[in-house]
Amino acid sequence: MSELALFLLRIGLVAVLWIFVFSIISVIRSDLFGQKVAGKAAKQTATQVVSQAHIPNPPTGPVRVLQESNAPSSRTATKLVITDGENAGREIALDGRELHIGRAVNSDLVITDEYASTQHAKLVLINDEWLVQDLNSTNGTFLGGVRVGIPAVVKLNTPVKVGKTVFELRA
Amino acid sequence: MSSNVTERIAKIVRVVPRNRNTELFLLLFALAINAFEVVQVQLSTLQAVTGDFWFYWGALAGAGLLLHLVLRLRAREADPLILPIAVALNGLGIAEIYRLDIAALANHQTELFAEKQVIWSLVAMVLAGAVIMYIPSHLVLRRYVFIAGALGVGLLLAPMLPFIGKTINGASLWLSIGGLTFQPGELAKIALTIFFAGYLVQRKDSLAMTGRTVFGIQIPKARELGPILAIWVVSLLVLVVQHDLGTSLLFFGLFLVMIYTATGRAIYTVVGLGMFLTGALVASRTIDYVTKRFDAWLNPFDDGHYNAIGGSYQLVQGLFGFAHGGLLGTGLGGGVPQLVPLAESDFIVASLAEELGLAGIFVIFTLYILLVARGLRIGFNHNDDFSKLLATGLSFVIALQVFIVIGGVTRLVPLTGLTTPLLAAGGSSLVANWIIIGLLLRISDTNRKEVE
Repeated sequence: MSELALFLLRIGLVAVLWIFVFSIISVIRSDLFGQKVAGKAAKQTATQVVSQAHIPNPPTGPVRVLQESNAPSSRTATKLVITDGENAGREIALDGRELHIGRAVNSDLVITDEYASTQHAKLVLINDEWLVQDLNSTNGTFLGGVRVGIPAVVKLNTPVKVGKTVFELRA
Repeated sequence: MSSNVTERIAKIVRVVPRNRNTELFLLLFALAINAFEVVQVQLSTLQAVTGDFWFYWGALAGAGLLLHLVLRLRAREADPLILPIAVALNGLGIAEIYRLDIAALANHQTELFAEKQVIWSLVAMVLAGAVIMYIPSHLVLRRYVFIAGALGVGLLLAPMLPFIGKTINGASLWLSIGGLTFQPGELAKIALTIFFAGYLVQRKDSLAMTGRTVFGIQIPKARELGPILAIWVVSLLVLVVQHDLGTSLLFFGLFLVMIYTATGRAIYTVVGLGMFLTGALVASRTIDYVTKRFDAWLNPFDDGHYNAIGGSYQLVQGLFGFAHGGLLGTGLGGGVPQLVPLAESDFIVASLAEELGLAGIFVIFTLYILLVARGLRIGFNHNDDFSKLLATGLSFVIALQVFIVIGGVTRLVPLTGLTTPLLAAGGSSLVANWIIIGLLLRISDTNRKEVE
C-alpha cells in the first residue's frame, strides 16, 4: 500500500466516524422537532390545497358533495401531513391502522391546543377509503371547512381541521 | 355504528415501523464503518485483504442484523439508535483487538484475543436478543427484586469463595470453573441495578420525605441511612478483600445516582460521597495495593513508581500512546499500541487514541454520550418509577464505567481494572453490557404499549 492511500484511509475513517455521529444526531433532531415537509412534490400539493380551501362551503349534504368532487380517492394516501397549527410540517405515515386524534397522550396525533377535545376524532380506513369520524368533540371537526356530522370520506389533499391544527392526507 | 369494524381493523394492523427503518439504515452504516476498519487494519499490517475479513466483520454483521430482525418482530417501538451505536463500538473494539493480535503474532506471542472477542460478541448479542424475545416487559423484573438483590451481592462476593475464586494480577475478581474464567461482578451490576430500582420504588417516599430540617437542609432519619451503610460496607469489602477499586466505586456510585434520582435529595449524594472518599482515603494509606495505585496516579513519571512492579509503567505507556496519536492518529495498524501492557482490555482506549487520534477518540466519547443520553431519555419517557429508575440505573452503569476507565487511563482518577463497555476484550464484560443494551431496548419498547 502506498503511503498516500494509507493516509487517505486514515483520514477517511475519522471522517466517516464523524458522519456516523452526525447522522445519529440528525435522527435525534428530527425526533425532537419533527421532519420537514420537503421536496417539490410537497410544494405542489400545498398550492393545490390553497386553491381548494377557497371553494365556498357547500350548503347541504357535505359528505356527498365531497365524495362527488373529483379529488383523487384516499385509498392511495400514505401519509398525514400537518399543514397548520403547532406541529405544522410534521408527517405521520398511514398504514391502514386507525388513527386517534385528540389531547389524550395516547392519541396517534396528539393535539395540545385548548380547542381540541381529549378524544376528538379518528381516522378509519373502511372499504379502501379513509373516513374521519368526530368523537362528539366540543368544537367539532371540519372537513374542507364543513363540520363533520356522520363519518365522512376524506379525499386526498383536503384540509381537515381539529382545534387549531389542520392536516390533510397525501399520497 | 362502525365500532365493531374499527376495532377489528385496529387489531389486525399495527404500528408504523419507521423506527426500525432508521435503525436498519444506521446499522448498515455502522457495519460499513466496521468493514472499513477491518480492511484498513489488514491493508496497513498485512498489505492485503485476506479471507479473515469475513470472520472479523461477518460475525458482527450477522449478529447485528439478527438482532435487528428480533427487534422488528418483538419490539417494534424500541429506540432506533441504541443498536447501531452499540454495534459501532463493538466493531471498533474487534478491529483494534484484531490489530493488536497481528502485532502480537509478529512478536511470536501466543496469547490472542480477537477470535475470542468475536465469539463472545456473538454469544453476547444472541443473549441480548434472547432478553428481547423472552422478556415480554421489563416490569416482570419487578417480581424478582429481592432475588436480584441476593443474586447481585452473591455474584459480587463469589470470587472470595475458596477453590473456584481466582486471583489475576492481584485482583480477586474471577471465577474459574473447568478452565473457563468468568467475572461474576459484571453480571452483578445488572442484578443490583434491578434490585436498587425495585427497592427504591418502595422506600422512595420515606427516603424523600422524612427527617428534620436543620439550617434549611433536611437531615434524613438515622434508620433511613441503614441501607446506604450496608451498600457502603459491601463496596468497601470489595475494595479491601478483592483489591478492586473500580468495581467498588462503580457499585457505590450507581447506588448514589439511583437514590438521588429516586428522592431528588442531594444530601444522600453528599453524605455517600463523603463516606466513600473517607473509606478510599483510609484504604489508600493502609492497604498496600491501593497505596501503590494512588502513588502511581499522583506521580506516574517518578522513576521509582515507573520501574516498580505494579507501578505506573502501564499508565505512562498509555499516556505516550495518546501523545503519539496526536490530532488525527496514526491510522489503524499504523501505531505501536502493543507496547502498553493489557492494550487489548484495560487500555483499549489508549490504543484507540493512538491510532485514531484526538478526533477519533472524541467520536468514541460522543457515541457513549449518545448511548447514555438515549438510555436516560427512555427512563424519562416512562410514567412509572420502576421503569424510570431501571433505565436510569442501566444507563448510568455504562456511564460510570466509561468515566472510571477513561478517567483512569487519562489520569483523571486513580487507575482501576474496569473494562470499557463494549470495546474492551473480555467475555463477561461483553455479555453483561449487551444484556444491558437488550434491557434498554426492551424498556424503550414497552413505553408506548404501556400507555395504551
